Amino acid sequence: MSFVHQDVWHWQIATYLFLGGLGGATVAIGAMLHMFENGDKKIISAAVLSAIGFMVIGTIFLLADMLQPLKAIYALTNPRSWIFWGVVFINIYFLASIAYVIPLLKSWPRLEPLISKLPQKILALLERFNKMAALGGATAGFLVAIYTGLLISSAPAISFWNTPALPLLFVFSAFSTGAAFLLLLFTFSREEGSWAIVQKLEQLDAALIVTELIILGAYFNFAFFLPTGARESASILFETPMFVYGFLGLGLLLPLLIETYSIFFSGHAKSSAFLMVTAGSLVLVGGFLLRYYVLHAGVFQYPW
Amino acid sequence: MARYGMVMDMRLCVGCQACMAACSMENQTPYWNGKFRTHVEDIEHGSYPDVRREFLPRLCMHCENTPCLSACPSGATYKTEDGIIRINYDRCMGCYACSIACPYDARYPYDRNDVSTAETLYGDDLSHRAPHVDKCSFCEHRVQEGLKPGCAGTCPTNARIFGDLDDPQSEVHKLSKTGKAKPLRPELGTAPKVFYIPS
Repeated sequence: MSFVHQDVWHWQIATYLFLGGLGGATVAIGAMLHMFENGDKKIISAAVLSAIGFMVIGTIFLLADMLQPLKAIYALTNPRSWIFWGVVFINIYFLASIAYVIPLLKSWPRLEPLISKLPQKILALLERFNKMAALGGATAGFLVAIYTGLLISSAPAISFWNTPALPLLFVFSAFSTGAAFLLLLFTFSREEGSWAIVQKLEQLDAALIVTELIILGAYFNFAFFLPTGARESASILFETPMFVYGFLGLGLLLPLLIETYSIFFSGHAKSSAFLMVTAGSLVLVGGFLLRYYVLHAGVFQYPW
Repeated sequence: MARYGMVMDMRLCVGCQACMAACSMENQTPYWNGKFRTHVEDIEHGSYPDVRREFLPRLCMHCENTPCLSACPSGATYKTEDGIIRINYDRCMGCYACSIACPYDARYPYDRNDVSTAETLYGDDLSHRAPHVDKCSFCEHRVQEGLKPGCAGTCPTNARIFGDLDDPQSEVHKLSKTGKAKPLRPELGTAPKVFYIPS
């Protein structure tokens, strides 16, 4: 038996996975904040617009890493491939999120005249179906976040990836990064209800990080169990300082500590805003590092 | 309609790598970049003084339950009527989903630089006209002419046996059916069509 590192998916794919998850989750959570918490429309529209931007950038990284990106039009051929579904979900995401965000952008005084220049019939349609677009964007966003984990977990000979825990991990991580990003943006909102939303996002993110830690615990416990490629991958990761101190420490534990302190021990103060921004930024860095290291630790188990 | 497969007799493989050379020439693979469609693994067992060395020739297993085919979004990877797994160079976008899915390290990237070099070497006879992910094709172009694949044809010890698994007269049928030759990682359920006689 020999263990060989996968040699085809590197930091460019990790960037796509990270931006895809972040973009998807941001629209999902943002839509919920809009519909159920009456969140600051300016912030939500900025978040959704950024999320769309992240998804575009992620897709560019993905295509740039291929041998023949122009042939990507053929990707809608085989529905047994997770990449096929990724293309479907991402396209639905773009359609729904763009439709969703256009009416929201009217909340920005500078953009309002621009948006009003759109044909009235279209604007009316977009406003009438805004909730549906929000739900569509949210669902597609969730599907984009989870399909990446399903794709990677379908590799039969990379036992570190070949587990149902991986899509779960990716979804929770994606939603954690989405919550963190919204947290960052909402910190700058001057609307009255926004502080309550910031606190809710903080609680959400803390809960998501705890869930991530539980999944990671089970994940690594299982990986170390038998002398498979998974054990090899897990050993490599625990011997990598950037994974242990960077991802686990700075990307998960430190933001969790900050958020726990903020939730239980501090009040509404400017210093808290600084802590929020720090925690949020660390979570985003952690989200990228997770995907980078999962890919990096992908080891084939060959029968020779 | 055949069901092509191979048997590797590891008692006979001497590790000469003539198969690698023949395959490279037959299929214009980028040997200049150390990339091959087939390899011969040099495996040492035990420790001094109880050491044993064996050679394991490996290539695409042309699996019946094909993980690379399921993973390929564009349908570039396809199965012929005779059970040979082929790649359509014009449809392959080089996403590497197939390379990730393959449990047998059968695939490698035939990139832009490789195509340029091949163009210089082979001119009008160039077979790889666009970058794509490449792998063993059981030399389908030779098999269609009634020949053996390049590797099997060149092997000096006849360690590589090619044939129709459905033909009761063929060596590959007899060796695989009797269990004398076994597949690699059968527990994955890929149903590979290359079988091994241990040394």
